[in-house]
Amino acid sequence: MKISIKTWFRFLRVLIIALLLTSCYSVRIVSTHGTPNPDPINDSDDDYRNKRVIVLDTVIKGGITTSVLEFKTARNGCKSGKLHSVEYKNTFGGSLLYLVTFGNKRKVKIKYVCMKPEN
Amino acid sequence: MANTTTYQKTEWDTLHKNGPYPLRFLQVTELEGKANMPSSIDRYNDAAKEIQRLIKEAKDNNHGFRAYGSRWSMSSIAHQKDRMHFNSFMNIDLTVTPSDVHVDSSYDHSNLFFFECGNTIKEISQALGAHGKSLKTTGASNGQTIAGCISTGVHGSALDIGSVQDYVVGLNLIIGPNSDDIVYLERHTKPALDDGFAQKIQARVIRNDGLFNAALVGLGSFGFIHGVTIEAEDRFLLKRYVRKIDKNTALKLAETMDFENSDFTIDGETDANGNGKRPYHYKIFINQYVNDPEYVIEVMYKKPYTTPYPDPFNTIEKSIYRDLIYLLIKISEKFPKSIPWFIKQLEKQILPEVNEETIGTLYETFWDAPYQGPAFACSFGVSIENSSKALKLLADLTKNEGPIPGIFAMRFVKKSEATMAFTKFPITCMIEIDGVLWKKTRKLMSLKEFSHRMIEVLQSNNIPFTIHWGKNADWSYPNLISHMYGENAVSWKEYRNALLSDEMAALFSNEFLRTIALSDVVTLPIEKEEELIASIT
Repeated sequence: MKISIKTWFRFLRVLIIALLLTSCYSVRIVSTHGTPNPDPINDSDDDYRNKRVIVLDTVIKGGITTSVLEFKTARNGCKSGKLHSVEYKNTFGGSLLYLVTFGNKRKVKIKYVCMKPEN
Repeated sequence: MANTTTYQKTEWDTLHKNGPYPLRFLQVTELEGKANMPSSIDRYNDAAKEIQRLIKEAKDNNHGFRAYGSRWSMSSIAHQKDRMHFNSFMNIDLTVTPSDVHVDSSYDHSNLFFFECGNTIKEISQALGAHGKSLKTTGASNGQTIAGCISTGVHGSALDIGSVQDYVVGLNLIIGPNSDDIVYLERHTKPALDDGFAQKIQARVIRNDGLFNAALVGLGSFGFIHGVTIEAEDRFLLKRYVRKIDKNTALKLAETMDFENSDFTIDGETDANGNGKRPYHYKIFINQYVNDPEYVIEVMYKKPYTTPYPDPFNTIEKSIYRDLIYLLIKISEKFPKSIPWFIKQLEKQILPEVNEETIGTLYETFWDAPYQGPAFACSFGVSIENSSKALKLLADLTKNEGPIPGIFAMRFVKKSEATMAFTKFPITCMIEIDGVLWKKTRKLMSLKEFSHRMIEVLQSNNIPFTIHWGKNADWSYPNLISHMYGENAVSWKEYRNALLSDEMAALFSNEFLRTIALSDVVTLPIEKEEELIASIT
């Protein structure tokens, strides 16, 4: 049976969509106690809708001897200083960058939500 | 001083994107820091002053003013086109001391707690947990603010307990900008806190059953709810079972609530004679698109709190790529006949796992509900005797005139004393269809048309019903409120008009209230007005 060019393109499109979907994934750790800090201005269409989310999306030049990168909670948007959830996103581009720079450049994509301030 | 930030807006939407609706100003009040004002009472009273300032500002600009919390309601009940106030940061809890309890109170002092409006169910549960206490019931989740819950009648499926408003025993309302516009309401037949407590929060006391019951489910229109007194109980555990049972047995239980004489029993949840115990919670899940002789049900039994028990959070939650859901919605809109197939494929994500068993506190059982994209929910309250008939009618409508991208569930709630509670039957069966929001197409009717037909079908079959205030419905359906509530709706309007000045009644109204014809000004003789808001001793 001969497969037409149109069918090949369809197959390619499905393959690209599948690859795009699976080339990145997120892992999130969520506290079982405490309430997420709300944000009535956040109208995003993701899991963080109505929450005060702080995003760290950067490339850090770590150096090949650096083991751990540590960030402190921001004062702005994290009045309580306590964490409610932290999400780490792994992307294909981030992994590739780490490999080709031998660990020197590290793509960091973290989203975190702090606890709602107590009164 | 409490501080309010005002944002200029053009529109506002619910959490589940059931709007958008037009809006001029969004106001967010944050309280004075503890370090600057250590006394909780002082910070609470300071916040009340700030709210009164905002009310005056709205009044001076001839604007409406409406508080909201977590924006979970899917109807437009929380919306006000002029000024909306986000109150979630107003989350103080005030200690109730033995000397604060009314001399005629029938409540155990250790069960009385006072929370400010913006406390969520989760925050309250944690605060109570620290005292070895628990809420009596919640909704299916924990993110709603307490003021939002009682204003809209949030419920779970506690068949012998009731809804969230049913354990509220005192209401602190701000009904205007003047010093005597802070009131503390209780039932005169069931006082909880004494006048000294009301003085601390600078409120004048009105003890009056009728007024309290009217204000309890106040639809956000009885003034600004600043704080509530609640009756908690000792912490308890819920043993939860998910089973698949014969659908006739499940529906017979829905109609009778007779668990003792039912064929359905669970090992270990029977009495000495082997008859089934009455559960705390009973819920039925119905996929109307499959002809399965069995339904998935969820039952919970109340147990004394003891430790240790297995960690109820010891699971990994997986979520689907959201783009995939949007893709399914788009396909469903174009090819509605694919909806039953999609629902069948997603059953594992939608329904609880059969034979699942867990144990945990109320707080741990009714856990977080993350935002999962635009959603709809229609929820009708009927008497349990009519539950099977009403379910069949609504499910048939959904199949024959849809299909609609959602599935049904039934929950059961004890009658509320609140004048406008939709849980008005001795035990109300809430028949609800939840699903993903869709757009009307040539082949698929709109949500408004669907909810309109639901009302028509119940009316034409003479089934008395109510509708959940926070859910989607054709709220403009002619004479809907008088059909559902009759004289109670008239009484509610009278109490509201007696308590609020005409100016404040207009300020606390919104389009939703006008649509359902509850915002009308009722002119009453002065003697009757005084009687309605008199404190009865």
